[in-house]
Amino acid sequence: MSGDEMNPAAVAQDVVDVQGDDRWMSQHTRFVQECKDAEPEVLFIGDSMVQLMQQYEIWRELFSPLHALNFGIGGDTTCNVLWRLQNGELDNIQPKVAVVWVGTNNYDHSAEQVAGGILAIAELLTSRLSKTKVVVLGLLARGERPNPLREKNTAVNGFLRSWLPRLGQAQFLDVGKGFVHSDGTISTRDMFDFLHLTAAGYRAIAKPLSDLLLQILDETPEERRASLV
Amino acid sequence: STEDSNPAATPLPCVDTQGDGRWMSLHNHFVSNSKDKEPDVLFVGDSLVQLLHQFEVWRELFSPLHALNFGVGGDATQHVLWRLSNGELAHISPKVVVLWVGTNNHGHTPEQISSGIMAIVELINNKLPNAHTLVLGLLPRGKMPNPLRERNAQVNKLVQEAVSPHPHASFLNVDPGFVHSDGSISPQDLFDYLHLTPHGYQAVCQKLHTHLKDLLDKMV
Ligand SMILES: [Ca+2]
Repeated sequence: MSGDEMNPAAVAQDVVDVQGDDRWMSQHTRFVQECKDAEPEVLFIGDSMVQLMQQYEIWRELFSPLHALNFGIGGDTTCNVLWRLQNGELDNIQPKVAVVWVGTNNYDHSAEQVAGGILAIAELLTSRLSKTKVVVLGLLARGERPNPLREKNTAVNGFLRSWLPRLGQAQFLDVGKGFVHSDGTISTRDMFDFLHLTAAGYRAIAKPLSDLLLQILDETPEERRASLV
Repeated sequence: STEDSNPAATPLPCVDTQGDGRWMSLHNHFVSNSKDKEPDVLFVGDSLVQLLHQFEVWRELFSPLHALNFGVGGDATQHVLWRLSNGELAHISPKVVVLWVGTNNHGHTPEQISSGIMAIVELINNKLPNAHTLVLGLLPRGKMPNPLRERNAQVNKLVQEAVSPHPHASFLNVDPGFVHSDGSISPQDLFDYLHLTPHGYQAVCQKLHTHLKDLLDKMV
């Protein structure tokens, strides 16, 4: 990608309160406040895929014990996450790992643009948090049957797989294997509306993610750990 | 009639603007899945119904009542009207239908939304003359007081009045008191100030479950 300013998916953008109850800004404000009160080791940032995870038992089982904060907001695009990160959600925190999961809601953008938007988020994280490792989760397949959005999300993952290693501190993790059956369908047992994960669906993606997080946290240099005490 | 010009009371399928056909997939799924089921209770509505199905409280309180869940995230009254007019009631005869929809009717007045809900009640009554429809009150939303809270409260008032004389329908306010004395709603109850946490569902569902049991007992 050349010139992020040309990519609409890499432009920070807040959400206009079209519904009229100001919920998006209320959530952002709450996250900024949480930064002042917490010292997370792991930061999750993204859309409803991140947000809903916190509502299931798996969060308390695998991620709360890692001192994780969850900054997921349903419906968010890469633009919205960029805006939130530039407007206070990284202030006062120094997580060891940031997990990014966003992009499936970028309906107006091409696969290359979406990947560029995610890359911009990873770059922002690594420049603001020089000691933080960034894990970008691959976009999942969606829809009951094969459809253009599945192909687009697969293409986004392809770009990320080749671009992210250049950032050094960032890596790509594909947690989506196994959701599409041999006949091309996705089951409501995994994704209750063919997009959002069930408890069983989260269980499937949480194990490889948790393993990687534990591995990264283990590798955190001793002197940095000491400085955190 | 005014119904004709009310978008909330006019059946409408959801347009697949995203491009993965999920709304229609879910509808078809509900229709075909209901063929070999004999539910006593049917839940119909939007994401508040749909998410309920994902949490332990569903298996704990409602699965034992033989309940089916036809919730679709984002649905407004006109979408539920379309789904129920197009096969979701064709193969089942539940004793009670729990209806929870209306908070997504953006751009509609409380009168329109209330009429939309009543149109669903009438449709259910036509298709399932022996069933009782339990209409759940819309919950407050937004962290602080806002126009949508007032709108939802107004819808509840209108629906309660309209449902009261109806022999096969009743209204239940399931809000256990989510609005605190300072006017705020806690993310412990509504994680995004709209959707319920498992903790929020516990409070709502205890009340609902007790009420449902009473209804079912009376109907035997
Ligand atoms: Ca009545």
